[in-house]
Amino acid sequence: MKKFYGNKLAIAIFTLPTLILFSLIVFNPIVQVFYRSFYQWNGISAGTFIGFENYIRLFNDNLFYLSNKNGFIFASIITVFQISVATVLALAVSSVRIRGRNLFRVVYFIPVVLSVTVVCQLWLSIYNADTGLLNKFFELVGLDYRQNWLADRHQAIYAIALVNAWQWTGYQFALILAGIKSIPTSYYEAAQIDGATPFQAHIKITMPLLRETYKFCLLISITGGIKAFAEMFIMTGGGPGTSTHTLTYMMYSSAFRASEFGYGLASATVLVLQCLIVILVINRLFKTNNTVEGA
Amino acid sequence: MEIKTLRSKRKLTVADIFFRVFLWGYAFISLYPLIWMLFYSFKNNEEIFVSNPFGLPKVFRYENYINAWSQYDVPVYFLNSLLVATATVVITIVLSMMFAYATSRMRWRLKNFARTYVALGMFIPVQAVLIPVTRIVQDLGLTGSHWALIVPYTAFNLAFSTLVFYGFFVGLPIELEEASCIDGANIFQTFFYVIVPVVKPAIATLAIFTFLNSWNEFILANVLVMDQSLKTLPLGILFFQGQFTTDWGAMGATMVIASLPTVLVYTLFSNQVEKAITISGAVKG
Repeated sequence: MKKFYGNKLAIAIFTLPTLILFSLIVFNPIVQVFYRSFYQWNGISAGTFIGFENYIRLFNDNLFYLSNKNGFIFASIITVFQISVATVLALAVSSVRIRGRNLFRVVYFIPVVLSVTVVCQLWLSIYNADTGLLNKFFELVGLDYRQNWLADRHQAIYAIALVNAWQWTGYQFALILAGIKSIPTSYYEAAQIDGATPFQAHIKITMPLLRETYKFCLLISITGGIKAFAEMFIMTGGGPGTSTHTLTYMMYSSAFRASEFGYGLASATVLVLQCLIVILVINRLFKTNNTVEGA
Repeated sequence: MEIKTLRSKRKLTVADIFFRVFLWGYAFISLYPLIWMLFYSFKNNEEIFVSNPFGLPKVFRYENYINAWSQYDVPVYFLNSLLVATATVVITIVLSMMFAYATSRMRWRLKNFARTYVALGMFIPVQAVLIPVTRIVQDLGLTGSHWALIVPYTAFNLAFSTLVFYGFFVGLPIELEEASCIDGANIFQTFFYVIVPVVKPAIATLAIFTFLNSWNEFILANVLVMDQSLKTLPLGILFFQGQFTTDWGAMGATMVIASLPTVLVYTLFSNQVEKAITISGAVKG
């Protein structure tokens, strides 16, 4: 067996393809992002080392602060919306005696399996000022609330964030539901004997036991918000003006539109660091503070 | 269902009513935009904009689908998506299964290091490495072929699927290999004929998960594919944004065509998909 498990040739054949592919296409790029962010580089020439200049420029760029603000708004909206709606839906599906439980599960999840371009295109037509579903709906119910949802500098980011919130709520719902299902029934029976109402049982049993689930829900929605790109790219092109830029969008337009690759990579580095900080902070919060009960 | 015992003796409480309203209300919010899309894929502009924006089409105009399929490049996009997604699934699964086997059951130094190294991929956002990945794909000479997408898609799916396979392999009893070894099989035969069949459920779950990911991928495709003839459906839809302003029905039809495969795969295998999600929850957290 020792010879069997220690077969050097087999180990090489089994591991090298993955190691090479991963190193080349995933690991090497992230190293290059850090390294090249200290260069002035147009993507073609060798580039010049300029130390922290890209970062100094970044921290003096108003667009950088706007992008961060948008990332923060985006992350906050999707986190609050998705986790609260998903929690209520998961509790409802698992507790109410209702026919068609599986149907609800499928219906909530379907937006998740759609392409982001389909979803954005669909919402472009829903938000359309003249012909969109939303304005038509307000017209129908007699409310004078019609407006150009994506053309307003202050409003556009909220409208875009809601699209992401709509698409991914089903994902969080599936996670939380799986968490609830893993809790033994006997806990609730004991609570019932002690005279707890279902509501009390959820507050005292379900929520604390779903800590790990909520940790993951928070991780994906917050980092998802920081990384936001596709929605603004498709729906507003980062506009009106620059009002819906995010860090990824800034990176994209510096590199692929202005050919300032080094500058773009500085924003990419900040993006990676922000994601890492979020991961560390959330892990920390959920480890030390025993009274935190999920969201 | 856990609470069923709790509430079976009660009458309909306020909470129950609230829950029911919420369930139906959100089901409407979740589904109606999609139904609306399905409806307008059968309508003409006049019906969509003026006479009947909300309801069922008065006449089902199947010609929207025929137009989308025959007048625009929809079949090309569809085939590209299918090819890229299928190849990504197959290569990802083969590579990650072999890697996970070697790092979970075989004996060599650095195996834990190798495993952790690849798992790091879970924390590398594809958005952040867009610029270098584009250049590497160019340098490798992949631009202009389907490999420009298949290779990076595979690379970015490796971290998750090696972790899942590792979880499956680690728990298998050692007798599996012992028996096979005594029967005179070598390690490769053992791997393909004994181990692979045992983890079929994991393969199914990962195949579906990877397929959905690659079919819908947009961010990488957006910078890696320039040729009209290599575009996948998510890019094709974007390309139509300008062209289709005059023909909403055909646009709707294209969007329905692009969504059907993933919706179908999900409704058929919803348990597998949800399993994959739960696993990814456990791995990342």
